[in-house]
Amino acid sequence: MNTPLWDEFAELALKRIAASGAEYGDIRIQDSSMEQIEGEDCRIASIRDVRDIGFGVRVLYHGAWGFAATSILSLEEVPRVADLAIEIAKGSASVAIEKVQLAEEPVHRDRVVTPYRLDPFSVSLEKKTDLLLNTMEVLHRQSGIARSSASLWARRDRKLFVSSEGSHLEFDLLAGQGGCTATALYEGGFASRSFNTQHLRKGYELIEEADFPREASRVASQAVEKVKAPAVDAGQYDLVLDPEHLSLTIHESCGHPSELDRALGYEANYAGTSFLTTEKRGNFRYGSRHVNLVADNTESETLAATGYDDDGVVCQQWDIIRQGIFVGYCTNREVAAKVGESRSCGSNRADGWENIPIVRIANIGLESGEATRDQLIADVKRGIYIEGHGSYSIDQRRYNFQFGGDAFWLIENGRRTHMLRDVIYHGITPEFWSSCDGVADRSFRRRYGFITCGKGQPGQSGWMTHAASPARFRRVHVIRGEGGS
Amino acid sequence: MTVLSGAWPKMTSSDEFRFLSELVMTRSSAEHTIISLRDHHAGTTRFANNQVIQNVDARRGMLTVTVAFGGRHGTAGTTDFTAGAIQDTLARAERIARISPVDPEYLPPPDPRLFPVRETAKPETMAAGPVKRLEYANEAIGHCRMENILAAGVVSSSSTAVGIATGNGLFGYERRADARFSLTVQAGDATGWSAAAHRSIDHLKVQERTLAAITKAKRGRDACELPAGRYPVILEPAAVAGLWAWLIWSLDAKSYMKGTSPFAGKLGQAIVDERLTLRNVPDHADLLGEGFTHEGLPSTDSVWIDRGILKQLAYDRFTAKAGGVEIIPTLEAPVLSVEGPTVHSIQELIKSTERAILVTNFWYIRPVNPRDLMLTGMTRDGTFLIEKGEVVSAVKNFRFHESPLRAFQRLSAWTAPMEAVNSEMGKMLVPAMALPHFHFSSVTRF
Repeated sequence: MNTPLWDEFAELALKRIAASGAEYGDIRIQDSSMEQIEGEDCRIASIRDVRDIGFGVRVLYHGAWGFAATSILSLEEVPRVADLAIEIAKGSASVAIEKVQLAEEPVHRDRVVTPYRLDPFSVSLEKKTDLLLNTMEVLHRQSGIARSSASLWARRDRKLFVSSEGSHLEFDLLAGQGGCTATALYEGGFASRSFNTQHLRKGYELIEEADFPREASRVASQAVEKVKAPAVDAGQYDLVLDPEHLSLTIHESCGHPSELDRALGYEANYAGTSFLTTEKRGNFRYGSRHVNLVADNTESETLAATGYDDDGVVCQQWDIIRQGIFVGYCTNREVAAKVGESRSCGSNRADGWENIPIVRIANIGLESGEATRDQLIADVKRGIYIEGHGSYSIDQRRYNFQFGGDAFWLIENGRRTHMLRDVIYHGITPEFWSSCDGVADRSFRRRYGFITCGKGQPGQSGWMTHAASPARFRRVHVIRGEGGS
Repeated sequence: MTVLSGAWPKMTSSDEFRFLSELVMTRSSAEHTIISLRDHHAGTTRFANNQVIQNVDARRGMLTVTVAFGGRHGTAGTTDFTAGAIQDTLARAERIARISPVDPEYLPPPDPRLFPVRETAKPETMAAGPVKRLEYANEAIGHCRMENILAAGVVSSSSTAVGIATGNGLFGYERRADARFSLTVQAGDATGWSAAAHRSIDHLKVQERTLAAITKAKRGRDACELPAGRYPVILEPAAVAGLWAWLIWSLDAKSYMKGTSPFAGKLGQAIVDERLTLRNVPDHADLLGEGFTHEGLPSTDSVWIDRGILKQLAYDRFTAKAGGVEIIPTLEAPVLSVEGPTVHSIQELIKSTERAILVTNFWYIRPVNPRDLMLTGMTRDGTFLIEKGEVVSAVKNFRFHESPLRAFQRLSAWTAPMEAVNSEMGKMLVPAMALPHFHFSSVTRF
């Protein structure tokens, strides 16, 4: 919890940084609570309640970074960790060629609190475990279901960010999610189908608003239908992709390549670089005119809408792709300055006190169009409707991708017919988005969050939300995801 | 730099962990109590575009308490090791356990036993701090600057105190340390890569691996495009390990018993080439073997695949008990070996090859179909065409669509096991291998 002592810690750290001659420094003190309840095969397999407290100090000395962090939060440890961060920054500076310069940002003093109706940490455990046991029981009521799982997750982050420039930001952020999966067996084969609530910054009302028994019944029935469904025939198909499925496609093929640190080579050794290199901004055709991908870290309830990022920059809204043309990056104060931007767009986030913030994908969403979902399907002669997440893989510059899904339906002559299995589609990112010829209207818009986006060394998990309405893509290569293909 | 992080922080000692455990145990009202420790201190110097971009050092201690009352169990954890916080953690675990439903799969903690003592914490790694890491990073950067190409990579070292203690007297404590180096070298559009992980920071071989990555990158210029299709391949150790990692992760016994495993019905049957053997060798000096698992089970030598035949599955304690399995094997130090005459090096493999694709590494490997372990992924950081015993050209990267259960049915040639590590898995010892058929399903733009 943020206490007056935290301000004392911050003041102590910033005094050391100021005395060192460093040009910039900040401290993040964080107290996180996480509750995870996992059900498996009609039993509660684990309930974990983790309290994670610590602080990290970041120092920019003569244009080079140093960072140190610890889970020991005490008046003795703060100066020790601050001094270590300073010394590490001095070491980095001793070999620096190009000095880091931070883009300007006004000083902010603010407090950000997630609005919620029901505190998930106050809802009784009995209520939560009853929900999961009942959900798994519903899954197993369906004949043919061999395995089940169900889970609930909630996290609260109380955080203080104080910078040497005078920013003082307090956060009390909440997030939650739940879901279930059914696995069906049939003639030696098996197939799974899942229901996931969105990961959102809401209270337990997120779980209560989702009708778990109804959704469990639906996915159990569909798992059985899926395991018996015919495998897809490889070939070219028109695809109509639902919002949950699109959230992953957007994440991998637009989100990651739009991270400016990747385009500048910072991630070359791990997550990779980007085909959206800096000379392409403003002139590269990424997709068709229907494709408008907008970063919006201001939309309430979304994961990256935290008021301010871990640079202390205000969350903003900006275009990544406008009418198919690549126009913008996700940035932080360091890389924004490298490409001549006067201000960061505020997309620098760490996954906890123990890690340094890095550029993360914003809440990038596909702007809605004007069609209805049925109109998109009606204009497809031979196609596939895809829901949910399945297999996914993409090259390190984000050109060549391959996606599966959680459920697939054959579209014939404008009508969704029966389920298929083992559908895998692949393509090259700009060719794929150029084949988009329709997006459904805002009434079909849904938001899906990610909390396990891996990037950085040491590895960190990024959080963001991708919103979309269903969209249609023409003549996409589909293969069968099994050994016989 | 004057700071030696080897002197900071003071990690939780065995005696301190015993004290903390007793603090929990004496206050616990539960039938069973388990206390786990993971006190981790790690530093990473990260570089890109030939300069340091990130230089970090962090320590995170976590104490986890699991308690059970008659099959009802709960777990709580804290990073705060003060007496009040630990008591609060115990209280939270007890609160959870008292109101949890009875878990039909719950088992009491393992019986007390002695764990193998292994050399898991080399003093040179424990003492390594930002100065040493920066020195190695500079060495890699320096070589690349001389060649006028770009280096991106990391040098990291870590030290961890791990412990487990239970109310019935089981006690284990181990210090573990490891160091890692990985480097991607960019020469225009071409990249080369190398990586190492070792208990000893002195065994990272930074110079040797940097020069290897530079050679790959320089050779990778002017890549030509070959059509997708089936090709003979030579897979370097990191590429072999990338595929085998997914095979290993799919050996879950519970899935096997429930019929949702790619190995269902295949225990005791041949699943790969009859010359392949997969063992766990936790005492191997080049692997990251451990004394015990997080469940309080000893890590031991074991055979998982014996001459192509699946001999072992990865058991949780409940599934092991239900299946009458008394000793639960671990697989944190895998060695994959091939029976028969080996060739001495990857270079020798190339020389003896008429035509094949040489793969340095795979990237973003993900399952496509859990029924037959079909995987997809991309080649990365050095993909070449070999003709008549020589590398004749770099080729644009392929996406593969292949199951290790099919790809490793027949090997053409192989080396002795070599060190293999990449960014998506732990460390293994595996041979470089020539395979007669491998399915590349599409090509990317570089």
